[in-house]
Amino acid sequence: MTSVEPERRNSGAAVRDPRVGPPPEIRPTLLEDLRQIVTDIRWSKHLIYQLTLRDIRVKYKQAVFGFAWALLIPIAVVGAGLAVRFAIAFYSGKGLALGQVAGMAVKAVPWAFFVGCLNGATPSLVSNVSLVTKIYFPREVLPLSTILAQSFDSLIGALIVVSILPFLGVTWSWPLLWAPVLLIMLWVLSLALGLFLSCANIFFRDVKYLVQVFLTFGIFITPVMLDASMYGPKGSQIMMLNPVAPILEGLRLSVVHHHNLLTPRMAPDGFIFWRPWYLAYTALWAFGGLVLGALIFHRSERRFAELV
Amino acid sequence: MKDARLLFDRVWKKFHRGQIHDSLRDLIPALARQIVGRGASDKELSEGDFWAVRDLSFEVRAGQTLGIIGPNGSGKSTTLKMLTRIMQPTRGYSEATGRIGTLIEVSAGFHGDLTGRENVFLQGAIMGMPKKDIIRNFDQIVDFAGIAEAIDTPVKRYSSGMNARLGFSIAAHLGPDILIIDEVLAVGDMSFQERAFGRIRDLANSGIPVIMVSHQLDRIAELCTDCILLDRGEVVARGTAAEAIAAYVQSHDASRMVESTGIVMFDTLELEGSGIVRSGDHFSVHITGRTSVELGDHIEPILVRVRSMRTGTLVFVTGSKWRDFSLPGPGPFDVCLQLQANLPPGSYMIEVAAEDLNLHEDIASATSVMMRVTDARTFAGHIQMNAGFSVNGA
Repeated sequence: MTSVEPERRNSGAAVRDPRVGPPPEIRPTLLEDLRQIVTDIRWSKHLIYQLTLRDIRVKYKQAVFGFAWALLIPIAVVGAGLAVRFAIAFYSGKGLALGQVAGMAVKAVPWAFFVGCLNGATPSLVSNVSLVTKIYFPREVLPLSTILAQSFDSLIGALIVVSILPFLGVTWSWPLLWAPVLLIMLWVLSLALGLFLSCANIFFRDVKYLVQVFLTFGIFITPVMLDASMYGPKGSQIMMLNPVAPILEGLRLSVVHHHNLLTPRMAPDGFIFWRPWYLAYTALWAFGGLVLGALIFHRSERRFAELV
Repeated sequence: MKDARLLFDRVWKKFHRGQIHDSLRDLIPALARQIVGRGASDKELSEGDFWAVRDLSFEVRAGQTLGIIGPNGSGKSTTLKMLTRIMQPTRGYSEATGRIGTLIEVSAGFHGDLTGRENVFLQGAIMGMPKKDIIRNFDQIVDFAGIAEAIDTPVKRYSSGMNARLGFSIAAHLGPDILIIDEVLAVGDMSFQERAFGRIRDLANSGIPVIMVSHQLDRIAELCTDCILLDRGEVVARGTAAEAIAAYVQSHDASRMVESTGIVMFDTLELEGSGIVRSGDHFSVHITGRTSVELGDHIEPILVRVRSMRTGTLVFVTGSKWRDFSLPGPGPFDVCLQLQANLPPGSYMIEVAAEDLNLHEDIASATSVMMRVTDARTFAGHIQMNAGFSVNGA
């Protein structure tokens, strides 16, 4: 007991009503909200880094597979695709070209990334309940950091795919420069959906299961194992309405077939299945979705702690 | 930050009792209800709603420490959650200027699979500490928590005490402009609690605004310059820590406060001086009241109980009869009670009552007063045994 008597005396001053006048009504405009989101995220760079690091560390720390995890889903997708393609090739009697395998390999990692992002980001707020209800920080960092951790995973997968592509007959050409553009669009689209779905999952807990079902069956309505052109003239057009489809098909066309995406592309059966405006359509989904998702997230953010 | 402050202006917070629709299945009926127009606005209570905080205002500036006390469910933690922006007020305005350091659920961000070192960086980042501050304070944090040898062990292998100590230590080294404390003093073992409290006292004395929720009333009494007593979201008492605590203890001990039977009635009970006594000093208590009849032998008119606020136990009981003192006949009385504070530093309540010795029941009681005993550095422990030293053979 070596306490020293503090110099401060009881005053009672702090409990007098401050009554600073009517509380200011704060109704920020959409633009102000967006600016706020950007400021919040810029201020939280270190937090985002730490949370991403946490997700990566936790995943790899006690995993027997280690970094092979990053490849598991892409390899499974390519393997399943090979089986399907082999059956089709056998049935039609056309044989399986090396380019088709390359096309699948190129699409498998981005698809695995998309699936991983949505599966990770959707429950990100609910599973961090102890943080959300106890400590204040911009909530956007939670879905954002799961997507960054997933990006790290997929980067490893992508590097491995890139290193084996030359053996599958892929060579350098200028249309390859489309690949980063498409990957950025995919990243933005994943973030947009991640923000929206993580927020929706707080309000309705069954969103998580809904997302899982959609992603399980999504592979059949997205040209991952098959190419869009294999669905016929009408079918390919409907398929391309799925915002992920133009990204994956664009990757295949630019990387494997050296096709400039600003020009239409004919299928072997003589119909156009790639149209340049698909790019604009997907970009609208991605960037429009990001703005919308961020706004919805930001506006409902203040209720998270009560609902989680 | 010079003008750091905490402000609450007429804040109300509404909560909903029971389930909120939280699966898509419930969405459709809820939407239908809203379209029909039965959805309530933000301002009124609909069925199942209640006000967790009602019309609460205060302002805490540099150098002030505000304590918030009250029974469970009185809105204390909700108030802190609104200050830290975790929740928003339903009505009114809440503001915290400056970087907020919170000592609330100090290990909330820990991940069991990560090592102590990794968790220090993670938790620090979650609490808004810049990276260079974490690096600079890292050794201090580990030393304070006393877990240097376990810092590279995954946190899931820590004991719950180690976990809590590390969490507290990180939060306590944030270097905040404002400090918000919620019931974290019960962390770790005795020696760590003392160190933790010492750290909080240092932070509070460094002149930043502090707000603190605790059930340890003696801690509140020692640290807080001001205090608010809440009950079911409403302010019951506000003023100095001593005033609010006295009001709390009295409302809490409503069962002990007895309706006077009319034989003895107390009017006032006052502590002479400021209510702060140095350990070992003499002080007096002033008691006034009335008796209506000649008191029989079975009536103890002035029974004095001294209760420790830290433990809630009685540390001393005496009575006028025990000390062979009797009141002069029926009518008003004005008595001075002398006591010596042979007590360790802390906060104490002095309760005065009249008792029927046959029934062992209080028949009247006075409003209690609180006093604080400060350290005179003459002894430590639970009681003063008046030690005397002498050299043998002298």
